[in-house]
Amino acid sequence: MSAVADPPLPAPPLHERRWIPPLLVAMVIVGVVAGGYVVADALGESLGGATTVSASVTVTPLPGWELAERFGDPPGARFTRGSASLDVASIAFAGSDLDLLASYVQEVLEPDAEQLRVSENVEPVTLEGGLTGSRIAYVGTFGDVQAPIEGEVTAVVSPSGVGAVFDGWAPSGQLRYAIDDIRAMVRTAEIA
Amino acid sequence: MAERPAPARLPRRGWGRRTSLFQWRQPAFWLYAAIVALTGVLAWGQQQIFQEISPSGWVLSWLLLLVYGLPLFMAIYLLDLYEREPMSLVLGALVWGAVAATALSGIANEGWALVVAKLGGPVFAAEWTAALTAPVVEETLKAAGVVLIYLIARDEMDDVMDGFVYGAMCGLGFAIVEDVFYFVAIFGGTPGGVLAGFYVRVVSSGFYGHVLYTGLCGMGIAYFVSRRDELPLRRRLSVVVGLFAAAVAAHFLWNSPLFNFFPGSVETVGDWLRIPLAAAIKGVPLLIFVVVLVRLARRRERMWLELALLEEADTPALTQAELRVLLDRGERRRSRREIRERAGESAEKLLKRLQKEQINLAMVRTRSHGLETTELVRQRELCKSLRDALRSMPGVAAAAGR
Repeated sequence: MSAVADPPLPAPPLHERRWIPPLLVAMVIVGVVAGGYVVADALGESLGGATTVSASVTVTPLPGWELAERFGDPPGARFTRGSASLDVASIAFAGSDLDLLASYVQEVLEPDAEQLRVSENVEPVTLEGGLTGSRIAYVGTFGDVQAPIEGEVTAVVSPSGVGAVFDGWAPSGQLRYAIDDIRAMVRTAEIA
Repeated sequence: MAERPAPARLPRRGWGRRTSLFQWRQPAFWLYAAIVALTGVLAWGQQQIFQEISPSGWVLSWLLLLVYGLPLFMAIYLLDLYEREPMSLVLGALVWGAVAATALSGIANEGWALVVAKLGGPVFAAEWTAALTAPVVEETLKAAGVVLIYLIARDEMDDVMDGFVYGAMCGLGFAIVEDVFYFVAIFGGTPGGVLAGFYVRVVSSGFYGHVLYTGLCGMGIAYFVSRRDELPLRRRLSVVVGLFAAAVAAHFLWNSPLFNFFPGSVETVGDWLRIPLAAAIKGVPLLIFVVVLVRLARRRERMWLELALLEEADTPALTQAELRVLLDRGERRRSRREIRERAGESAEKLLKRLQKEQINLAMVRTRSHGLETTELVRQRELCKSLRDALRSMPGVAAAAGR
């Protein structure tokens, strides 16, 4: 082994080193933007098996139901069991639950529907947490799907102005097999 | 033993260099451009949605925010009295804040909100998410823009004041786009809602928000990169971390339910009047802190100007009396007013040009590698010829002789 220390390596050329700081900035940006989702996934479901739909709404899926998809704008999630789905969305809302219900029908269901029939009766609903809301039923055909869809929409607005819409739906004739689960999940949902 | 001159007494080397945003050979420029282009698509899509939701509210929002944003833009830009930053870099910082930082923050805040909700439950999350996520997420993403601006044009960020300008511009861009979101999505987008939003977010609290937070972060970044030759790493690191933490803490306080004296609902005139007071309680301490820091930074720039021009004083380019006037903004204004009264508007314009070129002389001197470089000699001659032209104007000699 040589007793003479090796001469220090020359610094890398400037054009190589110029990439390092922007790369670090890019890594910080990716970490901040994606980090929350990664940590949230790593945390798994929150206590009691509840799924966080948005910062203000959590839903506890019953056995057999799973989180199929998340939506970004407005924040929401789709839970499915077989052919039945429960779409949950959360928005800041200043009006009543009836207003929220009406705007969901007008702005979400009607634009997507080839045909749509909405029940005339509005059913009052009370969640386990004490919040009250309103519920309607609908039947329609949507988009390219030829089979009619039947569904049930529940809208709840919390005193702090969080609006939650629960749209449980399935191909016509199959909703009855899932409706009890859907109603139970709506009833046990937590809204801040 | 000869005494070493204190570093702070030396004029900044390279003070006054001018570089543009478009540095094609800098990887940082391409990273900046790629992120702005990608997020620009998202930002444009969001603006189109707002326009569809409420066309009149959207237009009114932008008009009102231009009324607020343009004067603030000019005020920030002109704050750096001696060495104005290149406009392309200043606009680059503004665009980063308005487009990249807002779009990325929207995505990031959602993700971290899920974490808060999972850890604290929905009731806790409803109260604390905005305070726990937005300050760190938004300050980091805005500060990333200031760092990129520095990496694109390293020579330009040569003092704390420069960092404040780039940071504040980034914050201004962010604030404007965020305000449009609030006016349309939260305040309803009707003309009445937009006006109410403008009162709450701009009239009552427009002085306390993102401009100050990112201005502080920018000062920290500039301190870190510009004092490399003067201060040890630990000291520079503690300042940049400390100022970033101060910005995050101020943002946290603003978003949190702590010290919240805002009315729950606005029904009476008293409620409307309470809003600016409640905003002041949360925002004024930070405003005072930033004003003190900016004054200190300006004092330091004034010292550099003086040091850079001391050896030019009593030459055909600059007299001692002119140097004294140059160092005092009030004196400069007074001298121009006086010359306008005695010799008219064109004399005032010429004096303004002379003062500007004498300040430029300081910039040229600090970036020149010698006392007789072509650029320096040309600048001295320009100053001399401007003064000669000014003195030949009728009425000026009398004013100068007073």
